[in-house]
Amino acid sequence: MRPVSYSRVADVATAIGTVAADPDSTFLAGGTTEVDLQRIHVARSKRLVDINDLPLRQVEELPGGGVRIGAVARMSDVAQALPVRRRFPMVSEALLLGASPQLRNMASIGGNLMQRTRCGYFRDVAAPCNKREPGTGCAAMTGVNRGHAVLGTSEYCIATHPSDLAVALVALDAVVLTQGPAGHRQIPADDFYPMPGETPDREHPVAHGELVVAVEIPPLPMASTSNYLKVRDRESYEFALASAAVAVSLDAGVVTDVRLALGGVATKPWRARRAESVLVGAPATVESFRAAADAELADAVSHGMNAYKIELGRRTIVRALRTVTGDARMVSDDGNPP
Amino acid sequence: MTGQILPGARSDGSAWSVGAVGGAVAPGCGSSGGVRCVGGGVGGIGASPVRPDGALKVRGEFAFSSDLWADDMLWGATLRSPHPSATIRGIDVGAALAVPGVYAVLTADDVPGDRHYGLEVADQPVLAVDEVCYRGEPVAIVAADHPETARRAAERIVVDYGVREPVTDPEVALAGGRLVRHVPIRKGDPAAVAEVVVTGEYRVGMQDQAFLGPESGLAVPAPDGGVELYVATQWLHADQRQVAAALGLPVELVRLSLAGVGGAFGAREDLSMQVHASLLALRTGRPVKMVYGREESFVGHVHRHPAILRYEHGATRDGELVYVRARILLDGGAYTSTTPAVVANAASLGVGPYRVPNVTVDAYGVHTNNPPCGAMRGFGAVQACFGYESQMDRLAEAVGLDPVEVRVRNALAEGGSMPTGQVVEGPAPVARLLELVRDRPAPPPVGDDPRQLPGGVANTTAPEQVVRGVGYAIGIKNVCFSEGFDDHATARVRLELIGGEPTALVHTAAAEVGQGLVTVQAQIARTELGVERVVVATADTSVGSAGSSSASRQTYMTGGAVRAACRAVRAALLARLAGGSGAGADDGGVADDGGAVGDGGVVGDGGTVGDGGGRVAGGGLELAGGVIRDAAGRTLGTLVDLLAAGPVERSVRWRHRPTRPLDPVTGQGDAHVQYAFAAHRATVDVDPELGLVRVVEIATAQDVGRAINPQAVLGQIQGGTAQGLGLALMEELQVVDGVIRNPSFTDYLIPTILDVPPMAVDVLELADPHAPYGLRGVGEPPTISATPAIVAAIRAATGLPLARVPVRPEHLTGTG
Ligand SMILES: Cc1cc2nc3c(=O)[nH]c(=O)nc-3n(C[C@H](O)[C@H](O)[C@H](O)COP(=O)(O)OP(=O)(O)OC[C@H]3O[C@@H](n4cnc5c(N)ncnc54)[C@H](O)[C@@H]3O)c2cc1C
Ligand code: SF4
Repeated sequence: MRPVSYSRVADVATAIGTVAADPDSTFLAGGTTEVDLQRIHVARSKRLVDINDLPLRQVEELPGGGVRIGAVARMSDVAQALPVRRRFPMVSEALLLGASPQLRNMASIGGNLMQRTRCGYFRDVAAPCNKREPGTGCAAMTGVNRGHAVLGTSEYCIATHPSDLAVALVALDAVVLTQGPAGHRQIPADDFYPMPGETPDREHPVAHGELVVAVEIPPLPMASTSNYLKVRDRESYEFALASAAVAVSLDAGVVTDVRLALGGVATKPWRARRAESVLVGAPATVESFRAAADAELADAVSHGMNAYKIELGRRTIVRALRTVTGDARMVSDDGNPP
Repeated sequence: MTGQILPGARSDGSAWSVGAVGGAVAPGCGSSGGVRCVGGGVGGIGASPVRPDGALKVRGEFAFSSDLWADDMLWGATLRSPHPSATIRGIDVGAALAVPGVYAVLTADDVPGDRHYGLEVADQPVLAVDEVCYRGEPVAIVAADHPETARRAAERIVVDYGVREPVTDPEVALAGGRLVRHVPIRKGDPAAVAEVVVTGEYRVGMQDQAFLGPESGLAVPAPDGGVELYVATQWLHADQRQVAAALGLPVELVRLSLAGVGGAFGAREDLSMQVHASLLALRTGRPVKMVYGREESFVGHVHRHPAILRYEHGATRDGELVYVRARILLDGGAYTSTTPAVVANAASLGVGPYRVPNVTVDAYGVHTNNPPCGAMRGFGAVQACFGYESQMDRLAEAVGLDPVEVRVRNALAEGGSMPTGQVVEGPAPVARLLELVRDRPAPPPVGDDPRQLPGGVANTTAPEQVVRGVGYAIGIKNVCFSEGFDDHATARVRLELIGGEPTALVHTAAAEVGQGLVTVQAQIARTELGVERVVVATADTSVGSAGSSSASRQTYMTGGAVRAACRAVRAALLARLAGGSGAGADDGGVADDGGAVGDGGVVGDGGTVGDGGGRVAGGGLELAGGVIRDAAGRTLGTLVDLLAAGPVERSVRWRHRPTRPLDPVTGQGDAHVQYAFAAHRATVDVDPELGLVRVVEIATAQDVGRAINPQAVLGQIQGGTAQGLGLALMEELQVVDGVIRNPSFTDYLIPTILDVPPMAVDVLELADPHAPYGLRGVGEPPTISATPAIVAAIRAATGLPLARVPVRPEHLTGTG
């Protein structure tokens, strides 16, 4: 790791001011992404401004049934917070099914949303990568792309966004609150993650020195029985091959409302709007679920090793819908899954 | 030899087992029949005394080689080739030398001695000489006052490469004459025909040992012009020999001590930073520490050979094997390492523990520009076992037999002959091991606890979406070094009064790599000398070689040497008692092992040392609890009295019985010392729609001859099985165009505790008449058959052919 300077700040204004003033600086929260990327020379900030002392750790209930989560709150604390577990179990599950207990105890919500792709070429500074170094090409296109996206890809980048939490937030129409030199902003989670297009290096709309301060999840009664399903290569401590965050409202066996977002198969946390529109008004049957899944994956493109993800994505959607409509939630209330 | 009562062995063929549920504890000394452990009541053989490193490791307080420190030390860093194949037209170190804080920058031109090293063939450059042959090959080294300074300086070295097209396909390499070794095995009729024929091609991916402690060590220049090297390794003397040769120094000037080893599994058998740190230390006159990073570690050690295996099995309609033909191709990567021995294992063990009258096996190891491959737990036997056990299942299906039945029908037994013509002496309980795992109660049926279902707690799978499958496999492994290798181990044992109490000091160069060898050495000394206090000295090169901590050999070899040295000490003591000074350097108890050979330190003085631990056959004397008694139970003296005249020290170099090379044309010969067997039954639940596998339970049965430390035996069986599970389901280095694409523990997946199922373990103790205490090497067999058993279970659940490991979700969803 290259030498970096480090400072710890206690208030939001100083944090923003310090980073905004130095183009070579960045925020440091849990460090579970940032330090790793510094070490392998993908991140090259010279100054790290530690924001862990900022008063942004709370999880608060909002009137009407929403929740506000501070940006420095730890993944493990948020997953256990009662308002989150009761109102938005898919968020709690998405957090608990990510990383490992040690990582979750360090990692923050803001850092989770800002984490970088796990594409192996992005992490190998010797490889061409448009996301890391625009214009150099995309080594994953014909390389080891078993973990890469089949939805939302461009000829410039096919990397997935790795966050599980973001998938749930996108399903729930959450809003990311930021504060920067230019003031406060509210960015819908779905807009927070652009498609790679020709500029995969632009991963979010946050400006240099702009701080994520909180995430707000608006009320959604049907989310109280939502869940998060994750298919992965081992039983813990592993990113998604495919995942789905889902909430469904039924009336006499007919879907009246649905929220569905996918992880692991797309270049961004993927709101499955096509599937949603097929489902609304349809009977809650496996046939409808299949039709919805087919619609969502209709435009999926594979790049070789990730071909399986198209069908796996479909099956993940169907399974998630079956599970949520079959009252088969699996993370127990007091359970603390690894 | 069956039925013979062996020294300290449980010749009644006793067995013990541990259920799959709960934390059952292995039996201690004498808990299940057999011979009483004299003097072993407190931590002798057969007991499971607490290991000295256990609590420290759990608490994070154990000092690993990466924790070594000297106040004035420098840090070394390595510049590695970014290309799998290139010529080197020039190296400019000027910019690196100009970095403040840099003390030395060295290239191949600075290597004073041999510029190449290797375990079997010295073909691997200490630092690249005119070319690089794999990505990650060391090209230059730097010493600086800070590790980051060293690394940045290394980046400033300018290497002018002439990039070449790498050869990465082993078939291309074989066709292109890049052969390392071909081992043919020919037995019986090469043209034999059979009623039932099954064929298959199987592949094994490149597995990594995935130890947690990266390559690291500290080299300290010595006033006599030599170097002291503290390092995590498997074989101090092999390192010493190679380091001394590279430094151009006599071996006495290169002194190694074992530092805390964070796992090995074969990956520390070849050199990594040993020569580099020593070169830098000698050049700078300062201690130099080197610690590889995780990514660097993945190119810093050898891996398991990826394999392509083609098999044809011919059998009668009743499922009796008539012939096996096989072609096994192993990718050895850029340098030779241990490829020749791995090829020999794959060939000689290539049909498995079965009676096969007609065998034609051709095993090849080749050079490519992939990362070098060498030793890893199972060593050639792992790859072959995936092939032949997959075939046995196909045969079972073809002849309509149960998979256990077809194996039992063909099971090798004591007195049977291997494809090499070697007759298997001593117990070979192949059929019994299979029956043991078969007869284990089945694990509970699919329940609704999500933690027990495929996908675990990730909301993926409901019980009704699960298909269960059961699979079996059995493997065979050679123990100790083979093919005529002069395999020996040395032990020095000193008995003296410390604080008035008899204390044994055991000194060997055997590497404790986490397997519990330090504990085992102390147990043997307690049993043999009847003392409680044993100090095991740090392993170093001031005592003779112990050979490698590999090939499941160290308890056999160093255990054998410690036993022999203890018995020599005892003989000397008894001579003191008799007031005489006899002759005879022999340790009678091990004479039929090929003879314990004194290395000059053994002065036997009367009385043959006989069979039971602590008993002295010659005079019918017994040494226990510090007291020497005669047959009538009369006290003749105490250790305290006898040692008052001064300490007794003996050193013994001990050998197993000799082996022979394989005939280069027919592959015939008594090449192996001992065979070890383990069987597995795997039960899996599969969610075929999502491609998820949950290994529900693994039942293992293994013959260990004698469990010197039952707890350690269980540890080896559980750990080995977990490593086999890793190869079955997730562990693979993805190498593309010679480049490892997943060199991190985020991307190279090893099983977590959640992926590892409960294990039911049956341990047989059928004494091997040739081995110390009748023991059989334990470490490798469980790794070998776990992989095919799990894959067989998945096949049973899904009906898919699954001819390659690891098996991943996309191979099960049918959409890959
Ligand atoms: C082995 C491993 C496995 C993992 N598995 C998973 C997984 O399965 N699922 C999953 O979702 N995640 C996974 N992760 C990622 C993990 O969740 C993230 O690393 C973590 O959430 C990042 O949070 P942090 O607080 O440590 O961020 P840091 O590392 O401190 O920061 C990450 C980035 O965000 C920026 N940043 C941090 N906070 C703010 C803020 N408030 N405002 C603006 N910018 C900010 C930093 O400048 C930096 O660029 C895994 C990580 C590892 C190392
Ligand atoms: S997929 Fe994206 S991140 Fe990966 S190499 Fe291509 S451009 Fe870079």
